[in-house]
Amino acid sequence: MSRYAPPIERLITELARFPGIGEKTAARLANFILHESVEDARRLAASIMEVKERIRLCRQCFNLAEGELCAVCADPARDRGTVCVVQDPDALIAIETTGEFRGTYHVLHGVLAPLDGVGPDDLRLRELLARVDAHAVREVIVATNPDVQGEATALLINKLLAGRTVAISRIAMGVPMGGDLKYTDRMTLGKALEFRRGM
Amino acid sequence: MNTRNSHRARAIVLHTLDYGESDRIATFYTREFGKLKGIAKGARRSRRRFANSLEPFSFTQVLFSRRGGGDSLAMVDQCEIIDHFPMIRSDLEKSVAASYLVELTGAFTVEGKRNEAVFQLLVDFLSLMENGPFRTGLLSFFEIRLLGLAGYEPILDRCSRCHVPLDAGRTFHFSNSRGGLQCSRCVSVPEAAPALSLGTIRSLLHGKALPARNLSRLLLSPRADDESRRLLVSFIRHILGRELKSWQVLRQLRQLDAINVDTC
Repeated sequence: MSRYAPPIERLITELARFPGIGEKTAARLANFILHESVEDARRLAASIMEVKERIRLCRQCFNLAEGELCAVCADPARDRGTVCVVQDPDALIAIETTGEFRGTYHVLHGVLAPLDGVGPDDLRLRELLARVDAHAVREVIVATNPDVQGEATALLINKLLAGRTVAISRIAMGVPMGGDLKYTDRMTLGKALEFRRGM
Repeated sequence: MNTRNSHRARAIVLHTLDYGESDRIATFYTREFGKLKGIAKGARRSRRRFANSLEPFSFTQVLFSRRGGGDSLAMVDQCEIIDHFPMIRSDLEKSVAASYLVELTGAFTVEGKRNEAVFQLLVDFLSLMENGPFRTGLLSFFEIRLLGLAGYEPILDRCSRCHVPLDAGRTFHFSNSRGGLQCSRCVSVPEAAPALSLGTIRSLLHGKALPARNLSRLLLSPRADDESRRLLVSFIRHILGRELKSWQVLRQLRQLDAINVDTC
């Protein structure tokens, strides 16, 4: 026998499909929605539909965009000769919040993950090569995560771009700001030494 | 009783899966307990307890606890890296090949069955890749050894039907369904695979028997490499009933000319 009325059960089932949401959390969220005003619930439903109907991928960099181009690609002040390759839109936002980068991006929507069956055909690599060939790109900065999959993806991009007249760089890796060397793991410390720079 | 026992084991990470907000489910092949699956709570946040250690094909020392029966998901408390194989990680071909080795090991082993030879095989081959160039034949030699340890050793020293030896002057074909060679007189036409050269068969037998530390000296000719890849990939697909995910990725990379592994 169902514990809740069928409409609530349906809502709990739908919410429990979200990543990181179990049945108990879904029930808590459903109860929250139930106790909200009709206006609030309608606004939530409308914003979900708005995202589904209006958000698409930028035709240039494959970032999430409301129109043909995302805010970065539509900005005439950005340097189109420098392209930072990221694995997903969250990584793009993380770099944007630094305010340090004035170039443009290319979002792969994944990384090379052989154990999960994610290969080069599943990433936006052909589009990256076409972009480098078609536009006057001077530098490609590979900003995938410094883990096995991110490193493999960076190596693949390096191989695919080899022979083209474009500089390829990898984001630095090492000790975080405010970090303490004696508590840093040896792999990170090794990378910090490898990626050291002149002063 | 719901008591949990704590254990320490040396392990190679076979696979990881992000779970919830910050947890990670990891599958290991351990020397002491065989294949082991466990959840590492807060692994994606804790740089202290799991610093860089829960990554595919990393060699780690894992501290975990689980209920007495041993059939539940283990609680992984800490992982310390023993070797993260930096030379493999910095080479695309080696990195994807190492992923294939761990996926294959996961596919041919079951949880809770200890087999120290499987663990040593994995460590030996990862070390070979780490300390030398990626050589043709390495994947084939790993596959043939793992098949043997998993109970699927292909019969390569004689005809699996009439037992005639390799030097009998006949040609030999490999039969997936018989798990071994068939001589030209025994082979049934419908399932006949192309004939194998004696050089290929002898290279595989040699690669199976040679101590791992000497394998870097054994090179396969292009023909032997091609024939052994076809034989073993087809046989493994026949046993598992599917193709491994990392093999499909290897094939895509080969088509892009990003790697040199022969993917048939």
